[in-house]
Amino acid sequence: MPVSRIQQVPPGSLDLLAGDVRRRRSVQRAWFALAEAGGYQEVIPPTFEYEEVFTRSAGPELASRLIRFVDRDGALVALRADFTSSIARMVATRLAGAPLPLRLAYAGKVYRQEPEGVGRRREIFQLGAELIGDASAQADVEALRLVITLARELGIGEFQINLGDIRFIRPLLQGLAPEQAEALRTAIDRKDRAALAAGAREIGAPAAVARALVELPELIGRGDVLGRARSLATGAEAEAAIERLREVDALLTDDERRHVVYDLGEIRGLGYYTGIQFELFVAGVGRAVGYGGRYDGLLALYGADRPAVGFALETDALADLLAEVPA
Amino acid sequence: MTPLRIALPKGRMMDEALRLFEAMGAVIDPAARDTRRLILPSADGRFEFLPVKSGDVPVYVEAGVADAGVAGMDVLEEAQPDVLRPLDLGFGGCVLAVAAPEGAAYPRLAGGGIPRVATKYVESARRFFGARGVQVELIRISGSVELAPLLGLSDWIVDLVQTGRTLAENGLVVVDEVSPSSARLIVNRASHKLRLEDHQRLIADLAAARERLGRS
Repeated sequence: MPVSRIQQVPPGSLDLLAGDVRRRRSVQRAWFALAEAGGYQEVIPPTFEYEEVFTRSAGPELASRLIRFVDRDGALVALRADFTSSIARMVATRLAGAPLPLRLAYAGKVYRQEPEGVGRRREIFQLGAELIGDASAQADVEALRLVITLARELGIGEFQINLGDIRFIRPLLQGLAPEQAEALRTAIDRKDRAALAAGAREIGAPAAVARALVELPELIGRGDVLGRARSLATGAEAEAAIERLREVDALLTDDERRHVVYDLGEIRGLGYYTGIQFELFVAGVGRAVGYGGRYDGLLALYGADRPAVGFALETDALADLLAEVPA
Repeated sequence: MTPLRIALPKGRMMDEALRLFEAMGAVIDPAARDTRRLILPSADGRFEFLPVKSGDVPVYVEAGVADAGVAGMDVLEEAQPDVLRPLDLGFGGCVLAVAAPEGAAYPRLAGGGIPRVATKYVESARRFFGARGVQVELIRISGSVELAPLLGLSDWIVDLVQTGRTLAENGLVVVDEVSPSSARLIVNRASHKLRLEDHQRLIADLAAARERLGRS
């Protein structure tokens, strides 16, 4: 037995000392003040759940990163890997009779397997909100507005929300063999136009679909992108996506719109998104520090069909961005 | 304007990458060229080049320390970094291949038993043999892979093959192809979002330079 194990923590976990904790608490305080003012109530889902809560909802990527163990009765349980899945289960069961819309907020840790030696933690703090029972563009904007307002209140100068709608991409991948769809998803995800063109040829895509696929990596920018995307839309679902983004755009204030970039070629989101989806980027951080979107089909998995929209932000990343350690 | 920081793999691939940048008008600042500086600015102020070991390029780019980089497919397939791969740069063409001593049995050993395979590309080899249903023992080594069968460390190797000369000198022949490999532009995801126009211009300029050099 390595003698030193008792003096160490496993890779990807860590102690937070007083200064680290003050930063995180300060972010969480700002968050709950904002959430409560908006009518959001805090909930705390369990630290572990039956693994199906995560495997059936969020897609294979998250499922492959669960930290699991075997319960007394032989059932597989997983540490909370995603608040939205847990809260969807909670709402569809415990809160099935609650009047809608429901506004719920949370802050706590999620646990995910990460490869060693790439500088990623296996437990991270998140905060976020879910707005359940409202399918409108106003609800989408309410979620976006919470993110923008919190970023401002934390004093984060340069930040950007990349906003898309999965319904624009979904029809392009419909009816394909799984390997073909997977190859195209990979090419879309890597913004590899040559691979998209090759993939479109290989599946014998109609001209309109091929054109949309190849243009996906370029469908990113301010409001004018929506016009370009509209001319490439293939069918009613993709048109509905653009229509919704236009509604959202019209509801944003000029000051909020400054932070929003439309990005129709992004498929990073968790598997349960059905409408708008977005990521938050901050100058100087090499990855997204928040993500969210509409997940109208998720609650039905747990037995109560309700539209919903929500987001999660990485508390740790936000805390590191605070200008000074709060006293 | 803040320059885009580009991680480049030291060695031949870096020379070829710099030729592309040169063709688009970005040369290394002569004042910095022969110094031991770790970051080399381009004379036009548009880029900063960061020469690193080839396997480290994806690490710098994924973390966002470099905005973009140049990496071989072999390195990308092995490390599977979470980065954008918008452009094939058209140089560094080679093949990740399985090689065995001339006349050796493949994909089963003549006398049965589990083949041992020496390679730098353990993940790629694992995926390749796994998909073929061939059970092998992988041995990770970091250089002179072609010596491994010669010295009895392994039965086969998985390695990058450009001309095949090194293989031939060691009595090895290619028996199977894992994947083709060429140099790719890779881009940090967040940087691509936050500096969209800079990246769009970089991709378009590199694509144009590739066409020009390809024709000449």
